[in-house]
Amino acid sequence: MAAADSPSAALRQHDLCSRGIRLAGKMRSDVVDLLDTYVERQGLDASASVAAVEGVPAAAVERWNEQTGTQRLMENLAAYRAFRVLLAQMLEEHREQLGEADAALGRALASVLLQVSAFVYHLEELLRLARRGHPREE
Amino acid sequence: MFSVWNWVVHGLYLLLNFCSLEVSGGLVQSCGHIIPESPVLALGSNFTALCILNESCLDFGNIYANQIIWKIKNRVVPKEQYREINRTVSSVTFNDTSSLATPLTCNILADGQIEQNIYGIAVTIGLPPEKPKNLSCIVRQVSKLIYPMTCSWNPGRHTFLDTHFRLKYRWPQENFPDCIPKDVNNSCTIPDVQFFVNLEVWVEAANALGKAESDPLVLDPIEIVKPLPPYNLSVNSGILPTVLKLSWENRISGALMKLKFNIRYRTIGDTKWMQVPPEDTASPRTSFSVQGLRPYTQYVFSIRCMKEDGVGYWSDWSEEKTGVTTEDKPSKGPPIWRIIDASHSPAFWTVRLMWKALEPFEANGIILQYEVTVRAKSSLSSSPEKYNVSTTNLTLKLPNGTYEVTLIARNRVGASPPSVLLIPATNSKAPVKNVRTLPKDGKLWVGWTAPNSYVLKYVIEWCLVSNSSDCIIEWQNEPGNVQGTYLKGDIKPFKCYLITVYPLYADGQGSGQSVKAYLQQDRPSKGPTVQTKKVGKAEAVLTWNHLTVDEQNGFIRSYTIFYKTVDGNETAVTVDPSKTEYTLSSLTSDTLYTVRMMAYTDEGGRSGPDFTFTTQKFGKGEIEAIVVPVCLAFLLIVLLGVLFCFNKRDLIKKHIWPIVPDPSKSNIAQWSPQVPAKHNFSSKDQMYPEGSFTDVSVVEIEADDKKSFSEQDLKPFDLLKKEKSTSEGHSSGIGGSSCMSSPRQSVSDSDEGETTQNTSSTVQYSTVVLNGYRDQTPVQVFSRSESTQPLLDSEERSEDHSGGGDSTSQRQQYFKQNGGQDEINTDRPCFERTKQITPTNDGDLVGFAQLQISGQSSQLLGLGLEKNTQEAALPDVLQTSIEGQTVRPETVEGNPPSVDEMPKSYLPQTVRQGGYMPQ
Repeated sequence: MAAADSPSAALRQHDLCSRGIRLAGKMRSDVVDLLDTYVERQGLDASASVAAVEGVPAAAVERWNEQTGTQRLMENLAAYRAFRVLLAQMLEEHREQLGEADAALGRALASVLLQVSAFVYHLEELLRLARRGHPREE
Repeated sequence: MFSVWNWVVHGLYLLLNFCSLEVSGGLVQSCGHIIPESPVLALGSNFTALCILNESCLDFGNIYANQIIWKIKNRVVPKEQYREINRTVSSVTFNDTSSLATPLTCNILADGQIEQNIYGIAVTIGLPPEKPKNLSCIVRQVSKLIYPMTCSWNPGRHTFLDTHFRLKYRWPQENFPDCIPKDVNNSCTIPDVQFFVNLEVWVEAANALGKAESDPLVLDPIEIVKPLPPYNLSVNSGILPTVLKLSWENRISGALMKLKFNIRYRTIGDTKWMQVPPEDTASPRTSFSVQGLRPYTQYVFSIRCMKEDGVGYWSDWSEEKTGVTTEDKPSKGPPIWRIIDASHSPAFWTVRLMWKALEPFEANGIILQYEVTVRAKSSLSSSPEKYNVSTTNLTLKLPNGTYEVTLIARNRVGASPPSVLLIPATNSKAPVKNVRTLPKDGKLWVGWTAPNSYVLKYVIEWCLVSNSSDCIIEWQNEPGNVQGTYLKGDIKPFKCYLITVYPLYADGQGSGQSVKAYLQQDRPSKGPTVQTKKVGKAEAVLTWNHLTVDEQNGFIRSYTIFYKTVDGNETAVTVDPSKTEYTLSSLTSDTLYTVRMMAYTDEGGRSGPDFTFTTQKFGKGEIEAIVVPVCLAFLLIVLLGVLFCFNKRDLIKKHIWPIVPDPSKSNIAQWSPQVPAKHNFSSKDQMYPEGSFTDVSVVEIEADDKKSFSEQDLKPFDLLKKEKSTSEGHSSGIGGSSCMSSPRQSVSDSDEGETTQNTSSTVQYSTVVLNGYRDQTPVQVFSRSESTQPLLDSEERSEDHSGGGDSTSQRQQYFKQNGGQDEINTDRPCFERTKQITPTNDGDLVGFAQLQISGQSSQLLGLGLEKNTQEAALPDVLQTSIEGQTVRPETVEGNPPSVDEMPKSYLPQTVRQGGYMPQ
């Protein structure tokens, strides 16, 4: 009997999905706030689109229906791993350039970075559960 | 000597220590060392140390392991714990490290006596850390984005060692730096945590003796969040007067967690919070309308939140905000009552209407005015009178009758329902019964038995009864279905309240039934002042005044009178409180009593001032019973004495008031023929010149001779008396000085009618006047005297002998000229005794009375008469008393002897004033 079929595995998957979704929402909220702060601090145009940033992999939403759940997870995992690297790089640059002068922005960046890492963990766990069995379409 | 040796040893010890330091520092080689170096030992464990001597010292100082002495501080370790491993190594073993202390030194006895320190170590004893327990964490939101997590635990027992605690946490795929507590050992705060990922948390405690870890705690920090409370709370009045709308903002993102809320509220001045039902606020929101509030009431609101699913912690309550509901019209009419004063006029009442201001929750706003409508029930045609007042009372003067009073309170929104009070002409309905009171829980409960009829409501009226203030009436309404209530007012303890209950019917009113009550009683503030109203021999009537109401402090249940004598026991008497007088009986006469009085309430008594009184020596009537008989006896005695004296008056008179012979009545002028010219003198002085004496003779007349005297013969006597009575002072001064004869001799009458001069005792005397008057040749006066005895003596003796004289030879003694004849005449009574002449006639009395002249001494006047009336009856005497003078009516029985029958020389002559009639 596959592990994913066991009640505990199903609960685990459900718990991961549920909390992953809430984490994504929290992350989005924090990122939006962070972006506003960042744009304000950098003096950028607030109307500038951040949907497509060079070097950042785009989410495969356009081919969402064509993919399996595992494929989606894998693409999202790749994207968030890249995002995490970029955020870490950005945080490092922030520390080098601003030092302790703007601690709040640094803490916000660090927080988002942690949340991205957490989300990556969620994706990895879901992917792990999916590979063990037949994950449901969440 | 001993001290010097000690000093030397000490110096050597210091030198050795210095050398050892030199060795340990590498400058000087040490003679040995201890293994282990500075050990940390668990308390209670065993421990073995080795002291290893250097080989170089063996040869140099002949030091061997068997000479080693172990010491803990300055205390030598018993040799039983030593063990010589070889000649350079000695060990010491401690089975329990609790006996250890630092430093542990290895020493050696040089030359068998001098102790030298080789090496020493510091020993540290403690405990390994315990496993931290009760690990718990909480995420306290401090801002919208920052959520520090604080974990706390129980660090366990004290280890006596430096123990480090670390809070460790990690994600499954990522480790985080440890959280190291600052200044504490039981909590640590992680600055920021991320949600929706399980976090494994545990605590590690470590010291020199070991390390311990708590059980791990795996949790999603989102489940232990204590969010910040909502902020910017505002309260707004709604459209309805019972609704207030609350609005607020949440500090936590809806993306992070969904919230539920608690809303609490209270009125201003109230401390008890009310709460909106939690199920009404269990969903995420930023506003809520609180309903069911009272109009025109100020409310205070506060709100809190927590995770919607109830996992986590409630936030603190938000700051309080105040809001006021809008006004509504009054919910009820004011309670109304009246006081009727019918004393001013029999046909009119002075009706004082009074009502209570509505409670805020009843007024529902600001009462602007009251509308009072008074309608006379008796005359339907008359229109009701309306009054608009802003106060809570109205005084009207109304004719006697039945009235219906309607009261309406009005605010900005509208008017209240009307309150109706029926004022009947008479309170003819059934009253309540059995009004009673009971203090309970600091309040005064009033109960009554309802009448049989249906009662609309009751009015309880009460006032404080006091001497110092008027009875200010307070009142309250109670519904008709109750039979008891607490008085709603400031009821003070120790004060008397007069409580009256009125039943109000739909068509009338019952008379009030009253009762007096105290919320709490106390002893009277003073005792009664007792005093006596009447004090007798064995009883005393005590009176006192009742204590005033202000002094009573409760119901006076009884009085107790305490009374005692100075040295006696106190006696108590209990008296009914309605009495103001009491009679103490069975008291001891003529005794000082102290009495005091106590007044008792249910809570005790208080004594009044002492009062003293003395019972009387004699009882009522005793003095009278003694005095009256004594007085009567005295009067009787006096009366008897008077009677006796009156009976014996002659004898008494003879003793204390002798009769002075009146020379004017003397017959000497007649008797002495040589001086007839002198009889012409008109005055007494002329008749009796100084130094001259006239001859005095005693004429003795036998009582029996009196019979021989005719009235004619006595007339000259009467005339004499009359004249004598008109000549004042002739008898005075004569009897004692000029007359040599004894007065008593001349008034020798006695009660028995005896003649004091009988034959044997009669002193015949006469005086011979030797000297003439001045240059005149003395007149040789012949005077017969048969005795040379002193007159008084002989008179006294004769007086004394008179009692033994022969009664049958009673004689009246008179002056007489010739004593030689007296023996012949002595047996002849001149007058009979009065009693012997009792049969008399008025004419005699009148005739005798004519002898009396007012203002003249009857004694003197009666001298001659008394000689004649010595036997006059006493009643006759008393009957004729005039102006205090005793007139002795004397009648002469038979005719007195006539002059002719008597010897001429002895006949008394009428003597006119100023001289003697010549014979």
